[in-house]
Amino acid sequence: MRSIVGLFVIIVILIIIPSIDYAFGQEEPGKYLDRRALIWNLFFRMMVVAFTIGAVVSGTLFWLCWRFRESNPKAVQTKYEQAGEW
Amino acid sequence: MVLELAKPRPIWQIMFSTHHTDVGLLYLITSLAFLFMGGALALALRLELFFPGPQFIADSMTFNRIFTVHGTTMIFLFILPFATAVGNYFIPIMVRYKDMAYPKLNAIAYWMIPPSAALMWLGFSDFTWYATPPYSVISAPAPAADMWIFGLKILGVSSILSSINFIVTIMKCKHPDMSLGQVPLLGWSFLSSSMIVLVAIPTFAAALLMLLTDRLGVSGFFDPTVGGDPVAYQHLFWFTFHPEVYVLVIPAIGMMYEIIPRFSRKPIFSYSSGVFAFVLLAIVSFSSWAHHMYATGMSFTEKTVFMVGTLAAVPASAMHVFNFLATMWGGRIRFATPMMWSVGGIALFFSAGAGGVVNSAMPLDFITHDSYWVVGHFHLFVFGTIAFGSLGYLYYMFPYVTGRMYNEKWGVIHFILAFIGAVMVFFTQHVLGLFGMPRRIFDYPPFPEWIAMNQIASIGAMIIGVSMVIFLVNMVYSTAKGKPANMDDPWGLGGKYYYPYQRKNPHH
Amino acid sequence: MAGHSTWPEWVYVGVVIALLVWVGAEAWEVERLVEHVPEGAEVIKVTGQQWFWTFEHEDGTKEIGELHVQAGKAYKFEVTAKDVNHSFNIPDYVVLMDAIPGRIHTVWFAPTEPGEHEIQCREYCGLIHYNMRGKLIVEEPLS
Repeated sequence: MRSIVGLFVIIVILIIIPSIDYAFGQEEPGKYLDRRALIWNLFFRMMVVAFTIGAVVSGTLFWLCWRFRESNPKAVQTKYEQAGEW
Repeated sequence: MVLELAKPRPIWQIMFSTHHTDVGLLYLITSLAFLFMGGALALALRLELFFPGPQFIADSMTFNRIFTVHGTTMIFLFILPFATAVGNYFIPIMVRYKDMAYPKLNAIAYWMIPPSAALMWLGFSDFTWYATPPYSVISAPAPAADMWIFGLKILGVSSILSSINFIVTIMKCKHPDMSLGQVPLLGWSFLSSSMIVLVAIPTFAAALLMLLTDRLGVSGFFDPTVGGDPVAYQHLFWFTFHPEVYVLVIPAIGMMYEIIPRFSRKPIFSYSSGVFAFVLLAIVSFSSWAHHMYATGMSFTEKTVFMVGTLAAVPASAMHVFNFLATMWGGRIRFATPMMWSVGGIALFFSAGAGGVVNSAMPLDFITHDSYWVVGHFHLFVFGTIAFGSLGYLYYMFPYVTGRMYNEKWGVIHFILAFIGAVMVFFTQHVLGLFGMPRRIFDYPPFPEWIAMNQIASIGAMIIGVSMVIFLVNMVYSTAKGKPANMDDPWGLGGKYYYPYQRKNPHH
Repeated sequence: MAGHSTWPEWVYVGVVIALLVWVGAEAWEVERLVEHVPEGAEVIKVTGQQWFWTFEHEDGTKEIGELHVQAGKAYKFEVTAKDVNHSFNIPDYVVLMDAIPGRIHTVWFAPTEPGEHEIQCREYCGLIHYNMRGKLIVEEPLS
């Protein structure tokens, strides 16, 4: 339940709020779009996504290396070794 | 075994041989020699950039020549020949045939490399490995520029010849009992990359010829004063070289497909996904070239098309990552040196790809284009993925080539130092690019952040340098005096080392 | 065809594609906004050559190596080069556009407050590429 609320908050922050900002943005002399803000904002939002996915992928890789290392006390022969197909 | 330093074969026997293992050995030694030569150039660059202001490199032109030759060497004289070495050794074995389809052509393709390398190194051109006009036409010093052009022309022909050999050997010479769907994934990786080469390289051959005739003054393809367009070269160049970077990475992923299942003691999770991903990547790699040209005044629509084309290639690469992770799941993994290099390679492959997705977003290119972000990004691919995969595979094939085992402890130390060094150099360079440092500059203003990050990167480069010295000593010593390996199962994994029908070199 | 369950792989590919679609859509939107040159933007011609930048304002004023603009106004750069490829870059304002002989490319920006910023060349152009720098000086608005 908490993870769904967390996901919802992230989606709102990353997608909906910037879209609303853009929809209401307008240009007049003296109040032009600041390209720095737009571009860096996109960059930082993408960094959030990239690092989240990076954490998931590298976390999975770490866990796989740890759990399935052959020196792990829980290590068992793979079913291919047991079947003699290895 | 083809290389036994304790009982040497006459050198002329290897040089004039057309047997696939001997040609493979020639490619292997050549590629490793250039890995060290190109790496030495890189260390020189990083040392120079340790502080702002000139250090020991006399002037910017020398610096420019060094980075040009570094880049050209690493791509054309290390990565491609190393992959060709592996292909030469193992494709005939994988498809259960006696040699490559055209052994003499194979040897000719190899022997084109030393003269090209000589042309390139003796010329020592300065116009970056892109050779973009108008600089390369009107401003780059001769004869270096022309020597580079001729050198690369010859290398392109060599590449095409070995690709033809790989394709025909796999598709037409495979054993009658073997279907294409039983060819190992390493074989499929060579099939895919060879197909890309056949389509992509001729475009560059045309571009080189146009560059040469422009330089000679007989044409004006890229000269705006007579109606030409410098950007046309960039289209031709990148139409070749974006697919070409996939030619570089696909064999390395194929090599990981040999190592990861074997050291996890399981078959690959999904062979068909691997095949599908290789073929899809080969096709889609042609749809993204102008993402290198976002800053050349392309229209919004053009940029969008190429962004979509770039993103379209990501799922195929992601499928390989999934395949590797799913293979390790439920395995019983031996973390010997080859496995460490492959797993480290996947981790860095993912980081490189993530940074690439950021680049492909058109507006973010305004931040990253031609900055150190790009340098960090592509080095995570060429060093972090391709060199890691290649070095891991080199350790894996070491017993096969020499009959001896390398020193495992020093192999692990090599990996750990190289990984730490790679992270220190290339992750830092991403941030350096965000702070605005352009690439290809001999010197930089003394901004404190730039100085600090350049120093971290230089220290990381030195660590990589130390690891490569360890590697060199390990390789040479173990080839001459290493313990004889158990050729059926050098790592004691319990499975087959190579395909049971492996061929022996007829000279042994 | 596979001897094992394939749904995890399909879900994974679906998630990857969804993420890439999001990246593409966001990038498309920001690029659309960033490329829209406001009306009334003052044109400044930027010319790169080995190894310095020159600027020409609408009223004919020319500057070498330094560019003076006013805060709060929009400017449209028309960027070209005289000899080889260069690239006009103001990193602080995320302005970047290649300067290519025979072509004129446009990029716009609107500086927000007074200050001094770096201008650098972002495309290899030879011996002094590393020092092909300039200064952007943003002044108080006159009106």
